[in-house]
Formats: sequence, C-alpha cells, structure tokens
Amino acid sequence: MADDFNEREARRRGVSRRGFLQGSVTAAGAIAIGTGNWVLPAKWAHAAGPIKIGIATDITGPIGYAGNADWNTAQLVVKQINDAGGIAGRPVELYLEDTASNETVAVGNVRKLIQQNQVDMVLGGITSSMRQAIKDPIVRRGRTLYIYPQLYEGQECTKYLFNTGPTPAQQCDRLIPWLIAKGNKRFALPSANYVWPHLLNEYARKVIEANGGEVIFEEYYPLDQIEYSATVSKIVGEKVDCVFNTVIPPGVGPFFKQLYEAGFQKNGGQLACVYYDENLLNVNKQEEMEGLASCLDFFQDIEDPFSQQILADYKAMFPDTPYQFTAGSAASGTWRGLKLYEQAVIATNGDVDRDAVNEAMQTAKIAQGPGGGSEVVPGKWHCKMNMYIAQAHEGKYDVVEKYDMVDPKEC
Amino acid sequence: MEVVKLVFDILAFTSIMVLVVLGLGVIASMMGIFNFAHGEFVLLGAYTVYLFSTAGLPVWLGMLVAPVVVGAIGLVLERGIVHRFYALPVAAMLGTWALGLIIREIVRGLLGGLYYNVPEPVPGSFSLFGTEVSAWRAIVIVVTVLIVAGCYAFMTRTSYGLRIRAALENPALARSCGISTTQLYAFTFAFGAALAGLAGALMVPLFQIFADLGVRFLVQGFLSVMLGGIGTFEGPVLGGALIGAMVPGFQWLREIPGLSNLVNPVFAEVLVFVVAIVIVRLRPYGFIKQGRI
Repeated sequence: MADDFNEREARRRGVSRRGFLQGSVTAAGAIAIGTGNWVLPAKWAHAAGPIKIGIATDITGPIGYAGNADWNTAQLVVKQINDAGGIAGRPVELYLEDTASNETVAVGNVRKLIQQNQVDMVLGGITSSMRQAIKDPIVRRGRTLYIYPQLYEGQECTKYLFNTGPTPAQQCDRLIPWLIAKGNKRFALPSANYVWPHLLNEYARKVIEANGGEVIFEEYYPLDQIEYSATVSKIVGEKVDCVFNTVIPPGVGPFFKQLYEAGFQKNGGQLACVYYDENLLNVNKQEEMEGLASCLDFFQDIEDPFSQQILADYKAMFPDTPYQFTAGSAASGTWRGLKLYEQAVIATNGDVDRDAVNEAMQTAKIAQGPGGGSEVVPGKWHCKMNMYIAQAHEGKYDVVEKYDMVDPKEC
Repeated sequence: MEVVKLVFDILAFTSIMVLVVLGLGVIASMMGIFNFAHGEFVLLGAYTVYLFSTAGLPVWLGMLVAPVVVGAIGLVLERGIVHRFYALPVAAMLGTWALGLIIREIVRGLLGGLYYNVPEPVPGSFSLFGTEVSAWRAIVIVVTVLIVAGCYAFMTRTSYGLRIRAALENPALARSCGISTTQLYAFTFAFGAALAGLAGALMVPLFQIFADLGVRFLVQGFLSVMLGGIGTFEGPVLGGALIGAMVPGFQWLREIPGLSNLVNPVFAEVLVFVVAIVIVRLRPYGFIKQGRI
C-alpha cells in the first residue's frame, strides 16, 4: 500500500526510478573522471626530451588551500628554470594530479603520473597519511624519485624519498629552550589525535624535560572537536605557563578563543604552535593569539632580500590568488625541493636516471631560497635549513630569532 | 566556581545544538525526510554573517539578515528540487546530501579553503558567581530560550501552526479540508532552513567560518532527532539538548579523580554515541512517541 502510494506520488512528481538512476550514473561518472589533472608543456625541444616533474597535491578537499599554494609555487619555480634555459639545457615539463585529500583517489592519480606521463620525479603530498599512501606507488612500484615538502613528524627514512620540510628537531630544538628561557616551566600539550602530534610531542617532551621544564598534561582530541571547556579549565586550574599546541583547525580557533576568554594570556600564559603560519592568522581575533610563538623555516616577515624577491615573484605571477606562499602550507618546502632537484640534475649533466639523481641529491645544495639556503644531509634524506622563531603581534608575525642551518637529526 | 563554569559551558553548547536541531526536526517531522543539506544551511547562515563582517557592516545586522537569506534559499531549493523527493525518503537523503555538497564546495571555493574569525557583536566576558564567562555565549543561551518558546507558541497558538500540525497528522485529510500542503511544505522547509541559518549566524563568532562547519553539526543533529523522535516539537529539542549536554559534559568526566586515565577525550566523544545508541535501542521511537503538539 505504502509502496503503491510512493510510486504514484513519485510518478505524479515526475521522478521515476529509471530517471533517478540515470541521473545518479551521470553524476557518478562526472565525479569519477574528475577535473584535477593539468600539464604545462615544455616550450622547446631537446634531443633527450623534456625533464618531466609530477606534482601530486591536494588541489581540492579540506587542505586545498595548501595544495594550491604548492602548485602555484611549482609553476613559478619551473617557469623561472625554463626562462633561464632549463636544467642542463633540457626544458622542464610539469604535470599536476589532484590528490584530493583522499588517499584512494590519490594512489590512482599518482599511478597516472608514473605510468601514463612517465614523470622523472614526483613532488607532493601534504599530510603524513597522504605521504604514506603515495610513497609506495611512487618509490617502490613506480621506481621514481619522491620529494615530500611538508613539515612533519620525522622518521621517514625511505630510500629515494627526500624530505624538504622541517623535522621535529628543527622545530623544537631551538623553540623550546627559548620558551623555557622566558620563564615558562609548566607545559601543556593539547593535541589532535593523529600521527604528527603524537610523534612531535614525543620529541617535544624530551626537549622540555632536558631543559628543566615539566609536562603537566598531554592530551589527544578527536580531529573535529570544537568544544574545549574542560581542557581550558584544566590549563587554568593547573597554572600552566605554556600551551604547546598541536590542535589543528577547526578545533584550534574555538580552543584559543576559550583560552583567551578564560584569561590565560592576561595572566601571563604563553601560546606556542609550530605549524602556525600566515594562513592561520585569520583563524582567531588578533588579541586571542597575541604573543603566539611559532618556529618555521620561512615567514613573510623575513627581511632577507632573496626571500622577499620570491614573495614578489609569486605575487606578480598570481596577483589574485587567495593561496599564500607560506611555510605551513609546504610552499617553502616545494620551492626548496624543486631547486635541490635542479641542482642534482645539473650535477648529473641532465641525466634523470633515478639512481644517478639520487646520488647527486645526497650532496645537493642551494645557496639561496625562502628563508635562506639549504642542503641535503648526505644519507639522511632530510635537509639542513635556517629556522626562525616568530611571534604574532597585532595580526602579523614578527621574526624574533634566526638560527642558521639547523640539523634535521633524522635517520 | 568550577560548577558554575561547567553548567554554563554545557548550557551554551546545548543551546547551539538545540538551535541546529530545531530546524532539522521540523523538516523531518513534517515531510518525513532527513534534510542532509541542513548543515550547509547552518554554514550559509554563518557565511552571511561573515560577508557582513568583511564588508564592514555591523555583525548583528548580518545575524538578523542571515535567517531571511537562508530561508529564501531554502524556499527556492524546496520548490526547485527537494519537493520532488518527498515520496522517496532514501533518495531525499542522497539528494539533499548532494545539494549540501554543492553548497559546501562553493563556500569552500569562496573562502579559499581557509578559516576566518568573525567578531562577536558583544565581545568580552563578565563575572557570574565569581567565574568569568563569555558574554556572547550567555546571549546565545538567552536567544535560544526565546526562539524555542517562540516556535512552540507559533506551532500551538497560531492558526498557521494548527494547519501545519494538521498536515503533519494527516496530509490527505488536510488537503481535502482545503489546506494547501504544497504551500505548507514549502513554508516549513524555508522555516527550517531559516532556523538553521540563524543557528549558524549565532554560533559563528564562537567557532570560525570554514566550509565544514555545518557537517560537524549534521551528524550530531541527526542523532538528536533520532533520540528525540520524529513527529513532535519537543522530541528533537530534547534530543538536541541531551546530545548538546553530553558532548562537553563527558569531556569533564576525566576531571573526576580515578576516571582521568579512563576517560580520555576521544573516548568521551565515542561515549556520546554509545549512550545514544543504547537510548535508541531502549526507546526506538524516541523520547516522545505519543502526544503530538
């Protein structure tokens, strides 16, 4: 009876089962084919063909703002390389695949880069879970070089995989003693519950304790938790001096707001958050994050002329982009990764054979870059780079300390 | 002092939950469909306020306009798309989810995938029984009470409310009495959307504007309606209140000595769902099965 009614009603409204199915199939097809791939072809021919670089990053999905910034950066670097005559005379061709913040989609798209486009190197992945998902299709089955550009939890010592973002040692070794020297002894480590905060905290705890500080509590929250009254109450009640935060958006906004409303900063509390960059300045009101300390390889405030030139070039090439060139979105790591690769291929005289480039990458070095020069630590798959401590002040970052060529201490 | 803070925080979150659930419950009760785009109506309300804030207009004005804007969008979507799904509850879920997805991704594009704060019209905090509490949270509590009371009065005391209830009880009979259920459904859907818009507008200063703001509340809202039961006004409100109280409430369990190692924050979140499932098992039709308004 009910079915009869439903069917009659459906017919009356002009929706048949067949019609619905047809519609669904069309929609599913459109979603499956996707629109996220792109090629920037080489502008001139060379006997050995172009050098093909694949970018696999999150163009769509929750961290699309970072992926788009990385893709912009890659286009900028490759344009500059090609304008200067390519690498060892060979033009560079750039291929983009969207990893869509979805590991299943990403693995398929990365395979396309390797099997269909036959790229010589893949750069990309932003989250650690994405790196874990795509490194096997790239490095082992794909037998291709992989560069991972984002700051992360460390411990990635896979052959042919180069990490060009900062490690926990680079982010904590200078920042934590600096925080403790300012009189912050009691630390709280509120964190989002996934791999990066767990491993970063493990490292941070060691540094805190080695420098005479104390961890009052270390807690992990669901990634989308947006209510922190119990945590804030504990921080205030336990008289915590420094909140070393690894809660991520969307939770971090309400968390900092509740902390501010409870009078944490007013009573001398210090916020620290090592992934905070210019993209996150708008998450909270200025006063809610006043004094927040971050430690990254690049800030837009850095006065080094080369860094400012990169920012100006980026702005000139993408005048209307909402995606900023920042360290936390892996744009600085992308820049560094591509330029180190360039140096390695120059060293092999244009040979892009995986083992040859891998060998040359071990000693690759760039004199200049965002935040300064950088060099790969031979056999360690990570880079030495300059690190900066910056504090949020009236809605922007002021760089307060600079450390030269900090060791990644990995592998 | 701790108790005041605890009660206040729970009340504040409960209010937000109730506001979100109110619109969802009205639509679910009336048309018998779950509107999976409800979270995005919340998002659109928040986005409207954000637009006012970036344009330099007063935030409170944005909060007044948001329900009207979202209600109008709801009306257009109902007339254009959603009304085709009333006889097909499962297709309605998929269809409204798709609508929600489209709205969410458009907003994500407009925001560049980033997070932005929206200032409260009334910033700062005040002292309540010796505890500093957020002024805006206090206002949200008061507004929620007023809106719930207003909606209840509208449904039970006005002739339009009577017609809505008639259409809810027996659509065929209501139609034969000359009540246009088509019009009523369109109005109710727009009303539900407007409530969601208001919820989003009021909550956005507490959190921030980002594309997934609504989805966060949709799952808990859905659970609240399941708990409260469909077909009544009080049911979803009660369900929303319970979920709203459990979410921050269980987080405080670890402050009890002896439980601190047992109830970590992730476990507290899971516990909300465990309790909800147990209640649904015990009362499959929700808290309020009989006695319509």
